[in-house]
Amino acid sequence: MKILNLRYEFDWGIPFREPYLGWLITGVELTLLIAAVTTVASLLIGTALAIMRTSRFRFLNIPGRLYAEIVRNIPGLFWLLFFYFVFPEFLPFGLGQKLHEYSKYSVIAGILGLTIDNSVYVSDIVRTGLLGVPRGHIEAAVSTGLNRFQQIRHIILPEAFRSILPPLGTRMIHNFKNSSLCMAITAPELTWATQQVESITFRGLEVTILATVFYIGLSLVMASLIIRLERHLKIDITSITRMRA
Amino acid sequence: MEFLFEQLKNWKFYLIGAYPSGPLTGLTLNIVLAILSITIGLFFGIIFGLGRTSCRRYIRYPCSLYIDVIRSTPLLMIIFWFYFFLPVIGARLSLFWCAVISLSVYAAAYQAEIVRAGFLAVPMGQMEAALSTGMSRLQALKYVILPQAFKMMLPSFVSFFNSLFKSTSTVYIIGIVDLTRTGVIISQLKPNRILAAYVCMALGFWIVCYALSYAAQILEKKLGILDYESYKPEICRQDLVLIPLPKTVKRLLVSQK
Repeated sequence: MKILNLRYEFDWGIPFREPYLGWLITGVELTLLIAAVTTVASLLIGTALAIMRTSRFRFLNIPGRLYAEIVRNIPGLFWLLFFYFVFPEFLPFGLGQKLHEYSKYSVIAGILGLTIDNSVYVSDIVRTGLLGVPRGHIEAAVSTGLNRFQQIRHIILPEAFRSILPPLGTRMIHNFKNSSLCMAITAPELTWATQQVESITFRGLEVTILATVFYIGLSLVMASLIIRLERHLKIDITSITRMRA
Repeated sequence: MEFLFEQLKNWKFYLIGAYPSGPLTGLTLNIVLAILSITIGLFFGIIFGLGRTSCRRYIRYPCSLYIDVIRSTPLLMIIFWFYFFLPVIGARLSLFWCAVISLSVYAAAYQAEIVRAGFLAVPMGQMEAALSTGMSRLQALKYVILPQAFKMMLPSFVSFFNSLFKSTSTVYIIGIVDLTRTGVIISQLKPNRILAAYVCMALGFWIVCYALSYAAQILEKKLGILDYESYKPEICRQDLVLIPLPKTVKRLLVSQK
């Protein structure tokens, strides 16, 4: 590597030596945990928010829109810092002090912040899906005697989710990548672990390569899983018409 | 509430820091970072986006690889790559330029996808019609394809600029004093004013982003939304290849004979 003037000798033993290997493994576990919890939570909150935003009732519609407009225009990093530094200050009964002393509060703050940030984008996507459900299907549901909740549960949501699966998947991959921001509040996830190794050994290149490969690999796996799920959930219209005939 | 007004008297510190006498910090730094990186990213985005629509595999595959790798790496990882490993290959850059480079690399991949979708959305017949009126390939691109494609890309670009502007807050982690760092510094100096400092910081981001998303909404209503996720990556278009390199080389060889 004389062309690049590379002043660096690779030592692939470092990521596999003891304290570092343990950090990296907890880092991977924590990254997966944060990604999984925020995905599920933001899906739930985002769907509820989307239903609120498409609702005709003002006391549901206006808070939903307000929440979306406020959260969407502020970076995700702000919410992480907010929940880590500011939120415990305003809890009653000395609860905040206990939270500060609790060693895993950074992870909880990270999950809260990422969920708040991601749920708005999810609600945007779900909302376009909900608005895309044909009017006739809802009228058909009404005429079969389903009540409003049953319409949403059995007709509107399944149809909407089929059509929005690709953008929703992209958003969830983005959320998984955003979990690396949790290192700003010292949650010991993968990016934090690599930086810790770098700051102690000054040999961060190996760990950073490994971490980058992990992120890229998992993103690609998630993307392919979403394509599979999309194919699995697709309703084959020709087969239904054939059945009817 | 009066805490907030007290903080708002510091508006100059949140906006530009100690700029004329010291380094530029605060919200303006975020805006400068976003504008610089989207401009550099646009340049490379056009190259990679057009490269991905090329029918020549030796052009298409490297472009696809770049786009996919960058799009599936966290921005923070890209920033760390440039922050820690530019010195390793012997380049000494300031923090600011380090941030600009990594944000541009990040932006280029996303903008390449927008550019690709925009160019593919221009119907095939447009190029043929332009060529049949006697235009050269470059003229056809300049006068017929590019204006139409950019019109379709504009709403996506504005909303991407919005998301990039929010992403510039990530450079806080490598120690650049942007708006996020400004807010954190103030909250650490005056711990009893922590909420006011955070609200001011959020307000700075909110105003800029709200204006941008409002602009994006208007543009979307006027020009329509381009759904660049749904364009299949396998598609290639013979007529969009910007550099007809082999032909030129062939012509040169013929003329030399």
